[in-house]
Amino acid sequence: MTRTRLGTALWYVRLSWFLGGVGLHRLAAYRLDFALGAGAFLVRVGIQTAVVGLVFRQVPAVGGWSYHEVLFLLGFSLLPRGLDHLFTDQLWELGRKLVQRGEFYRYLIRPVNPLFSLLSERFFHPDALGELVVGAALVTYAGTSLDLDLTAVQWALAPLLVLCGALIHTAVKLCFASLSFWTVTSLPAMYAASQVSEFAAYPLDIYHASLRALLTWVLPFAFTSYVPAVYLLSGDTALLGWLPVVTALALLLALAVWRRGINTYEMTGS
Amino acid sequence: MSVRVSRYFPFATGGLQSLLQYRSMFVVTGVTAAAGAAVTVFLWRAVYADAPGGGTGPGGFTPASITTYLLVAQVLQVLHANRVDDEVAAEVYRGDVAVMLVRPVSYPLVRLFACLPVVAANAALVGVPALLLFSFLVPLTTPRPVDAALFAVSTTLSVLIAFCVNLLTGMTGFVTTNTWGVRMVKQSVVAFFAGQLVPIALMPGPLAAVAGALPFKGMVDSPLTLLLGRYDGMGGAVAVLAQQAGWAAGLTVLCAVLWRAALGRLEVLGG
Repeated sequence: MTRTRLGTALWYVRLSWFLGGVGLHRLAAYRLDFALGAGAFLVRVGIQTAVVGLVFRQVPAVGGWSYHEVLFLLGFSLLPRGLDHLFTDQLWELGRKLVQRGEFYRYLIRPVNPLFSLLSERFFHPDALGELVVGAALVTYAGTSLDLDLTAVQWALAPLLVLCGALIHTAVKLCFASLSFWTVTSLPAMYAASQVSEFAAYPLDIYHASLRALLTWVLPFAFTSYVPAVYLLSGDTALLGWLPVVTALALLLALAVWRRGINTYEMTGS
Repeated sequence: MSVRVSRYFPFATGGLQSLLQYRSMFVVTGVTAAAGAAVTVFLWRAVYADAPGGGTGPGGFTPASITTYLLVAQVLQVLHANRVDDEVAAEVYRGDVAVMLVRPVSYPLVRLFACLPVVAANAALVGVPALLLFSFLVPLTTPRPVDAALFAVSTTLSVLIAFCVNLLTGMTGFVTTNTWGVRMVKQSVVAFFAGQLVPIALMPGPLAAVAGALPFKGMVDSPLTLLLGRYDGMGGAVAVLAQQAGWAAGLTVLCAVLWRAALGRLEVLGG
């Protein structure tokens, strides 16, 4: 069976649409689970916001950032994280157990790309809706309070910034999840990486220089929230030019690790 | 019912053995604890750097004592993370708990004994190294010997309270299958009201009152009140410990009662 490249692309789009719909059906079937999952994020972010509020009860500015600016950053950091969470959280299963239990082969024998096959097993994680809603609410509230007046270019770029941030999150997750091909389970490494991503919810200026460098150039979570937020708040484009470069490099690296991992897995023949 | 402690020793050694099979877990716990500590420490140090005057800042903390508070709070949180909540929840909804019930032991006590080595190992392999690492990076306060002793007693009680809270969280597995969501809510709420992220002394009146009325205060705020000498004479120290002991006893009774009730309506599939 041969298909044109366009035909293949369209076929993947149709398949994603259908599988996304299947994911939505879960929402109706496990209503309490959905409520608990989305509610859990609501509580978590609510408490994060409360901590920021309590910090700013003591002082008017932290590291040169005002209360509403930090809220804007916190809210913005949730958007790429939520978008990534919505579609790719099946990678946690890969890191946790798919290699360990020898179940991974089933993604290799399907007539689609193995990565698509893995992700499509659960294409839609409704828990992430909690993150996206709270993130959007915080950004709107903080932006209004700051009288933020975005230029047309900023409005046009904003969705792209969120998308790039989400892709960086995905790349880091894919990279660490793929380590499981060599280490059997990589859940601990994935967990540590996701913990480090929490730094991105606060202004980078308050951290030690070494930590700033780590978050910018090694695990580039700064590009998921700090860099875009600085641009939207002040129009400062110092690091913005690096965003597409970092996103592309992170994705290429993650895909390379994933591909080598699959090859390793085939060779063991389990 | 007489409790024969020796029956439970195998569970303690078993817990230790399964723990040592996953040695990489200690590295991860260390990394995540250090990351969590770094976020709060940097955030609050920025506050105290900008605070007017210098010396004693908001809530009567100095830059060194607030750093000590947040770091030790993170270490206590590592001691409290005993995995009892997810293990109990998983065994309940998989039905594995039935196997436990045919043995002549009390399941909650088995869990307690199995988690004690985890607590000790986390203290030695994660808590102490994390404190050492940060002591090189940021200024910390050295406690008086009497405060350190009071802290040790208080920490023991806090571990007991944390065990009960985690056991109760795990028991939600009798009601819902999404214990992941429940655990996440528990973790955030407990961390906040225990005073792990924000010392209760820095909370506004009504919020501090809520935190004071909850048992979670005994997990972080009470041990640290004693460690930093923020109490009013020996009477004040005894009052802090008495309140903790009261909560530990109360929660133990609550666990026992709810466990009985839950078993009464437990249905396990399969035959």
